[in-house]
Amino acid sequence: MTMNPNRVFAIILRHIFTTMHQLERFFDVIISPVLVLVLWGFLSKYVQNIQSSSLAAFLLGGMILWVVFEKVSTDIGVNFMYEIWDRNIINLLASPITFWEFLTGLLTISFIKIIIALTSMWLMAGIFYNFQITSLGFGLALLWINLFIFAVSFGIFNVSLILRYGHTIGPLTWILPFFVQPFAAVFYPISVLPPVLQKIAFVLPIAHVFEGMRYTLKSGQFDFNSFWLATLLNIAYMTGSVVFFTFIFKKVLKSGRLVKLI
Amino acid sequence: MAKNLVLEVKNLRKSFGPASAGFVAIDDISFDLEEGQILGFLGPNGAGKSTTIYCILGLIKPDSGKVHIFDKDVTKFRSEIMVNVNYASADFHLPWNLTVWENLLVYAKLYEVPDAKKRINELLQIFEMSNLRNKAIRDLSTGQRARASLCKALLNKPKLLLLDEPMASMDPDVVDKGIKLLKQIQKEEGMTVLYTSHNMWEIEEIADKVIFINHGKITASGTPLELTQQVLDIETGEANLRDVFIHLTRTK
Repeated sequence: MTMNPNRVFAIILRHIFTTMHQLERFFDVIISPVLVLVLWGFLSKYVQNIQSSSLAAFLLGGMILWVVFEKVSTDIGVNFMYEIWDRNIINLLASPITFWEFLTGLLTISFIKIIIALTSMWLMAGIFYNFQITSLGFGLALLWINLFIFAVSFGIFNVSLILRYGHTIGPLTWILPFFVQPFAAVFYPISVLPPVLQKIAFVLPIAHVFEGMRYTLKSGQFDFNSFWLATLLNIAYMTGSVVFFTFIFKKVLKSGRLVKLI
Repeated sequence: MAKNLVLEVKNLRKSFGPASAGFVAIDDISFDLEEGQILGFLGPNGAGKSTTIYCILGLIKPDSGKVHIFDKDVTKFRSEIMVNVNYASADFHLPWNLTVWENLLVYAKLYEVPDAKKRINELLQIFEMSNLRNKAIRDLSTGQRARASLCKALLNKPKLLLLDEPMASMDPDVVDKGIKLLKQIQKEEGMTVLYTSHNMWEIEEIADKVIFINHGKITASGTPLELTQQVLDIETGEANLRDVFIHLTRTK
């Protein structure tokens, strides 16, 4: 079978043009691999200097709680985009539903999905790795609530971006949580990060959630300082995302972008 | 005796883009719709028909003017009003992976339809879709999909139904059946309908009154026959909206 290089080039050209029109695709190509490298670089540095029996628990606990954030924050945006891909969004918005009711519905479905995901991860971690996430006790629920609230703020922010820029911004919705990951101190303490990045981590509620998780796993006591810090930051982020969304929604109603989402 | 006004559009204006170089999609249009009336909303592509419908649905905020449905401002009482309004367009589908029944059940919840299952069965029977209830939308033909969309649009027995080219890209046989069914249901349920189409025959068949819009302005209105006589300046007993359309579109 002979291949026509011109036709192959046509496909390459098509994607070059698309990338030129959608700069967010660069995140996929350049920034995402860099973030992965940064994350594993800091993790390696942390692991090199630690001789802790709790290391496996830190990593597994970090991973299980990270999934809560990642899934919820992307799920809200992805489910919103499903309505656009299905060309159903105008039918939905033309109905009596308000946008906040729509968002609440998306949020609830994410909540149900994450409960199912958490339960299966909890069972698997217990059976295969002898790790009981419930060893975090009542504090687990508090950590989980803070993670969920931050993920919801993130999801609302994602939906606002989709409203403003359309579904072409979609790939960014999947990647955004990973921008946060290296600074969120998921697998290593904030202290491992260079001073500038520590400042970024300090203003992220989830960094305090993961700090709290490690503290509880190590000492058996709940870290109220981290909890309250995360809660206060979450109030700020939630307020910010609601204000941002309201602003964008009014803007797209006025500009007519709402009906041009598909 | 004066009939109730279902829809009142007054001095509606909408432009897009910056104020200096913006595009005026709707330029100070006013019209109203009485209860039980079917209004044909005609105009070339980009004339402002869909923008007007989106303003009526509260999905675009007008620059000025007002849209009142059932004597209430749509920008203030949108959710309350929309329980008694519905919309369908060939441009939009129902979710493809869901079956006809699942889709209609979801929309029945959204429109707070009482006794939803009974109403869905009733509509499926009227539109001869009972045997397709468990089929996914993606497995339906274009005509069947349009009928499913019409079922959705009629779920809540809307007092005002907005149909934006609901039968575009369908064969004449399906359009004919669809129009007849719509007229029958409209008579039985006393709906008020705003209907846009590029198929003049459809409008002649269904509309009591026609408004012609071009460059965002209403350029003519009347019954299909009145419009034919006025615009083409001929004595005739038959409506000819196709020639009216061409004449009005080409006349500046």
